[in-house]
Amino acid sequence: MKRNLYILMSLVVLASMVLTACGGAAPATEAPAPTEAPATEAAATEAPATEAPAATEPPAPVPSGTATITFTQEPDNLNPLYTTMFFSGITRDFWLKALWSFDENNQPVPELAAEIPSPENGGVSEDGKTLTIKLRDDINWSDGEPVTADDFVFTYDMIMSDKNVVQSRYPYEDYVESVEAQDPQTVVVHFKEPFAAWLTNIFSGSPSAAQGVLPKHILQPVFDADGTIDNAEWNKAPTVGVGPFVFSEWESGSHIIFKANPNWINPPKLDQIFIQIVPDDAAQEAAIIAGDTDIGVFLSSDQIEKLEAGGNVKVVAVASGYDEGWFLNVNPETAHPAMLDVNVRKAIALATDRFTIVNDLLVESVNPVNSSFWDNNPPYNSDIDPYPYDPEQAKQLLDTAGWVDSNGDGTRDKDGVELVLRYITNDRELRKNVQAVVEQQWSQVGIGTKLENYSSDVFWNGFNDDGPQAQGLYDVAEYSSVGSFPDPEASSNWLCDQISSADNPDGANWQGYCDPKMDELLKKQATTLDTTERIDLYKQIQQLMYDQVLYIGMWKDPDLWSVNSRLQNAKLSGATPFWNVYEWEVTQ
Amino acid sequence: MSTYILRRLGQAIPQLFIISIILFMLMQAFGDPVATLGARTPPKPEDKERLRRMLGLDQPAYMQYFTWLIGNDWQKIDIDGDGTPETYGKRKGILRGDWGNSLVTRRPVLEMIGDRLPNTLLLMITAEIIIIILSLTLGLYSALRPYSLFDNLVTSLSFVGYSMPVFWLALMLMYIFAVNFRQWGLPYLPTVGMFDPRVGKTPGQLILHMILPVTTLAIISIAGYSRFVRSSVLEVLSQDYVRTARAKGVRPIYVVLRHALPNAALPFITLIGLDIPFLLAGAVVTERIFAWPGMGRLFIDHTARADFPVLMGILTLISIAVVIFQILTDVIYSFVDPRIRLE
Repeated sequence: MKRNLYILMSLVVLASMVLTACGGAAPATEAPAPTEAPATEAAATEAPATEAPAATEPPAPVPSGTATITFTQEPDNLNPLYTTMFFSGITRDFWLKALWSFDENNQPVPELAAEIPSPENGGVSEDGKTLTIKLRDDINWSDGEPVTADDFVFTYDMIMSDKNVVQSRYPYEDYVESVEAQDPQTVVVHFKEPFAAWLTNIFSGSPSAAQGVLPKHILQPVFDADGTIDNAEWNKAPTVGVGPFVFSEWESGSHIIFKANPNWINPPKLDQIFIQIVPDDAAQEAAIIAGDTDIGVFLSSDQIEKLEAGGNVKVVAVASGYDEGWFLNVNPETAHPAMLDVNVRKAIALATDRFTIVNDLLVESVNPVNSSFWDNNPPYNSDIDPYPYDPEQAKQLLDTAGWVDSNGDGTRDKDGVELVLRYITNDRELRKNVQAVVEQQWSQVGIGTKLENYSSDVFWNGFNDDGPQAQGLYDVAEYSSVGSFPDPEASSNWLCDQISSADNPDGANWQGYCDPKMDELLKKQATTLDTTERIDLYKQIQQLMYDQVLYIGMWKDPDLWSVNSRLQNAKLSGATPFWNVYEWEVTQ
Repeated sequence: MSTYILRRLGQAIPQLFIISIILFMLMQAFGDPVATLGARTPPKPEDKERLRRMLGLDQPAYMQYFTWLIGNDWQKIDIDGDGTPETYGKRKGILRGDWGNSLVTRRPVLEMIGDRLPNTLLLMITAEIIIIILSLTLGLYSALRPYSLFDNLVTSLSFVGYSMPVFWLALMLMYIFAVNFRQWGLPYLPTVGMFDPRVGKTPGQLILHMILPVTTLAIISIAGYSRFVRSSVLEVLSQDYVRTARAKGVRPIYVVLRHALPNAALPFITLIGLDIPFLLAGAVVTERIFAWPGMGRLFIDHTARADFPVLMGILTLISIAVVIFQILTDVIYSFVDPRIRLE
């Protein structure tokens, strides 16, 4: 009897090990069967309940139907002043329209503004320092109060008030002189100097910045009573908004519901937007495949095939400015001496087979190798081809630069210094895999590597908080970044006076790059309001960065959205994804 | 008895103080709350500096602890960043009932916990009841028929259940019953959430959405608990008083229920008593995968953002619950086991 038990036990242990090892592939396991039985029975009795309403749903009277969207992170706050979270920002396309949105080609679409200001219509002044915005006169808050210029002035005052712990004061603190209400329908913004990035950063719909307009008639009384709007009920339950949908409920950790606003200028066809918070990526994938959600986001390209297999789901790649790339440290104080030589930097680019990396670890059609920081940010992208993979030329360049393997240890050296580069990134799994491949590729041309990974909360820290990039404890740093999309502005990364150091701990130029030519171009584009002229400046900037090899593109990093075929007319945009939500429809 | 309880409660106060100090020190290791602010791109340095100042994060850790404990509404703090304190603080401190505000949502911590606690209790208590009933039944039955086919089956399944990682089991159940069953045209269960938005939050929907998470929690715990019950019942069954009872000709069912079970239950009660306060903490993995809006997820989400007021709030709540339930367990002991006197 006892021996039998041992045999049985070892069999069971073995079986469980096999089961565990099978991972996601095992189709069905025996183990849970006994306990599962009641579950299936219950499903059998309950299932009709879920299907019944779908069947009895009326064909198509307006507005009807629910679109379900999964968010992998929960918004922290709905008041735009208190959050820079992507998942909070994108909800504003439903309930808090800004002056304008951006369409699927990232072109501005007027929302509360009657038209997009321009020099031709007098909205942008001759000297570029004054922005005059005409508001539509037929737009009301969802409680019937009209939207006026006073709401914008109030919003500005709240952002700048010391009583409110707002998330960001950009760009109002540094660039804006004042915001005035010329008349109830006219907002005037005075800048300290011409501000080229206004379209993205002044009361626009862009979710990356703390943006939007607040209802003065709701929040002014709160501010007067509490001395702050930090704890306003509206921040969590903004029942008064301005958009095609109105906030209905937010159950912490579970869901957020927006209901149709029939009084909106473009009445929506759906009657409800249901946002389901699903923190686990694998669970989101299951929900997408099962059809429990109509839209999901932040998917990775290796999921595309699996998600589209059923035929009901389409994965859409939407450029939102992000490109994965290498930032090279060229600071004479902190970088490896070899990094100061442009030919060595060029050799690094030539020695890395980014094309194979993209092919092996990602989907090449979705994530092609980019050559510039702005390649996913048209019309400011470059038309330069990325450096090819040419290890022979890389070796030649390194030889010419004097980096040769004199001691025969497999790594090049010069004047007793080994060519070992610190290649750092955060702890994301994909990036660790890339690091491993690159280490291999570099070793073939005699470049040694020291791979380091930091947790995200340390990786981007400033100089005083031991940020590895800010302190220059690296030679190559990899991450995905963007300007203030859809605006290309990211100058502070390369300006001389932004070089981070003990004396300038807030400096954003973590690469220590300083070049009067680059400074001039960057400063000029920041105040150039003419788009054509600015695009031309960006072409020059990107050529310079390419020639100087300051940035080596790894791949374009668009947002991947899943859209179920029952949802129609969703034209997702990179800046304001749900800008045309009023046109959305669901079938069935 | 009441003096005993009072004395235990008195001991609990310094105990909780020490716990809170240790926890607060641990909080320092969670990282920088204003490092990312949850955004896709890092915040601007000047915003970080301003936020640190306004949220009091520029203060030394011990000052932050005192603010958390007793508040700062009697002292002036520097809000506008000119270096001189000018505004009175607003915190009252946890000793005066102010659990602080979340650094992430800016909402009162107690309110945030209040939002999640009912969901967690609904899930965890349901699971716990099923776990207790099933593991008692299975364990008892196995112990009465040791090494029978049934016992061996339960034993093997326990090992399988015990060795499965929670996340794997949860995803497996989800894929089989929510994804594959639907594709095969069978009656299926929902994947995530608490209800179907097209139907609404009805009791039926809640039950339907609870099946998979409760099953996950149950499979994992029953495995261990039923083994525990089995071995303690087996041990008691071999005791002299049980043999005596049997020899006297007491009916077998009566022997088990009257003589064996109460004695075997003692260690089980300890186990459950120590378990209950942790029900408040929720089940991190299960809640995350099934998108159940409970305490476990609140904790994990806010750990990721280093939101220490929320983390401190949850941990303090659990610490208090642990202390109370330890006392309660001891009191219940004295009822179940007359040999124990609480003095």
